[in-house]
Amino acid sequence: MRFVTARERKRTLDIEVTPMIDVVFLLIIFFMTTAQFARMTRAELALPLELGEQEAAPQEAGLVINITREGEIIVSDQSFDLAGLEQLVREEIQLHPDSPPQQLKLLIRADRNAESARLNEVVRLLQSLDVGSARLATEVPR
Amino acid sequence: MIDVTFLLLLYFMVTTVLAKPEDRLSPTLHTQRDSAVSSASDFQPQIVEVMRIGDAPGYRLGASIFRDKAALTAALRGLPKAPGVFINVHDDVDVAYAVAAVQAARDAGFEQVTYVPAK
Repeated sequence: MRFVTARERKRTLDIEVTPMIDVVFLLIIFFMTTAQFARMTRAELALPLELGEQEAAPQEAGLVINITREGEIIVSDQSFDLAGLEQLVREEIQLHPDSPPQQLKLLIRADRNAESARLNEVVRLLQSLDVGSARLATEVPR
Repeated sequence: MIDVTFLLLLYFMVTTVLAKPEDRLSPTLHTQRDSAVSSASDFQPQIVEVMRIGDAPGYRLGASIFRDKAALTAALRGLPKAPGVFINVHDDVDVAYAVAAVQAARDAGFEQVTYVPAK
């Protein structure tokens, strides 16, 4: 019987690659999903250049309403007219039966070069549905 | 494969970081229910009109006219904060001016800022 001596035994440091690849793939999936989700909810707009309220942890809004420079209303990558938007907001209100519509939080992302006419129409619609506040998105100047 | 995987990870991380940072302003909206209640209010409303004055957009506060946000903020700082302020936005100005007026009110220290579409 032949024993392996200490000198013969190769002292190598094995790095486990498999768990690292698993983690890397999970990270890729995370970033891909969030990027895709952000693209769906947030249209490419030139937002007003303002600091905003600088809250440490701003609450996320459920419904994100995008208003393009041309006045088009886009929600979740789909174009809506005012009637369609009204239906969406009503559904959002029904999704939260415990809280009154005055407390419903929406995010309005309006292009800074768009005329306020469209934004005003959206606000009037929200007013008619008794929605008490809306968040106006801004782009923080670098 | 690991190289490609790491490149992909790097790409998605960088594009996420490069996304423009956003914040928000939260003005209240003057609902129909509020309109009924506010008629009984004792406070005189303080109103900033965001409108076209001559050829260019500007802000009107009482008899004073302001062309830029800094001047409006300075004027709003001198007003009492308790009654809040109404931002009355006309249809023919750009959204940038409407949002700037809301920001000016916040910067001046107003807690209660109400966005009102002009009739």
